[in-house]
Amino acid sequence: MTCSRQWIDAYVDDELDPSARWQIEQHLAGCEACAGLRAQIAARREQVRAAAPYYRAPDRLRHSVHAALRAEAAGPRRWPWLAVAATVLLAAGLVWSVRSNRERDLLAQEIVASHVRSTIGGRLVDVPSSDRHTVRPWFNGKLDFSPEVRDLAAEGFPLAGGRVDYVGGRTVAVLVYRRGNHNIDLFLWPSESGGDSETQRNGFTVLHWTDAGMSAWAISDIARDDLQRFRDAVRARP
Amino acid sequence: MLPHLDAAHNLARWLARSAPDAEDIVQESYLRAFRFFEGYHGGDSRSWLLTVVRNTFLTWRKREERSLANVPLDEERHGIAPAPSAADSEGEAEALRGCIEALPPEFREVLILREFEELPYREIAEIASLPTGTVMSRLSRARQRLEDCVRKKVAAR
Repeated sequence: MTCSRQWIDAYVDDELDPSARWQIEQHLAGCEACAGLRAQIAARREQVRAAAPYYRAPDRLRHSVHAALRAEAAGPRRWPWLAVAATVLLAAGLVWSVRSNRERDLLAQEIVASHVRSTIGGRLVDVPSSDRHTVRPWFNGKLDFSPEVRDLAAEGFPLAGGRVDYVGGRTVAVLVYRRGNHNIDLFLWPSESGGDSETQRNGFTVLHWTDAGMSAWAISDIARDDLQRFRDAVRARP
Repeated sequence: MLPHLDAAHNLARWLARSAPDAEDIVQESYLRAFRFFEGYHGGDSRSWLLTVVRNTFLTWRKREERSLANVPLDEERHGIAPAPSAADSEGEAEALRGCIEALPPEFREVLILREFEELPYREIAEIASLPTGTVMSRLSRARQRLEDCVRKKVAAR
């Protein structure tokens, strides 16, 4: 093997597969120039990490981004791409044959939207609490229904809080549960219609069911089985 | 809480080499991310946001270049190349900063993503829309250039 700088860089970065790694190690053991280069690359890398400036975001930027996102969320043209997607579907002539699916699809898309928005915008919960007796009364006056709030900590899904969101043309309750480092959003609103469904979208699992006159949607990036367990825990009568 | 804001700002700041421009780019990036999150297909959200920052920077640079069509040299506009006398009093951090900023942007971005964010080559490849092999060779060349530049500065003292 000849001295090749980029392989030594990749070796220092621990980016080589075991066989290439082994070859480089063999070579370094016998080639003083390359061993020197390896040491130089590693030292300079550490120096850059330690001494070159890492530009943290100033507080004023944090505030202005927050303000811009809030203004955007409150704006009227909230999801212009939804209109685009609908137009494309219409043009394809698909919309008539799959109307109810399309409605459910759009709802699922809105659910995903709300979930991602809450993560990016940093507004996971409006009422952070693991106590259902704090979360449920908080919804009073904010919704035209009273969602049932269950504590599922014993099942491995501790409650993190709740928020109010706007989905499918109405205000809905969102209960946020935790599973390890992941969030599960549970959307609830009164509705009689709709059966069970399950979709994968943008890397999230979305489960839908109807129970006791409430339409329920659960979304998370946890494993599908875990989310199904979550659904079963929600549906189980206490 | 805004996730990955420091990482987004650090990348934008190194790419744009100007504090106010970096802040504009970050702000625009978060709005874009917010509006077009359907481009997010799961996976590492930091990588995804950094991709948005990089693309926003490219759009911003194109716009800048159009409006500054008669000022061809980036370096002149930003005053990157320091006078030789300045090198004497430069600290280590200042020498590194100057040398990283002097790298061509395509080298600079892989270096920043690797050294500061410590991203694996595969993720850098996704962010910069490059084959992984190209990330490997670019990073290596970026480090080589940085090494030469820093040595030159030290020798000039």
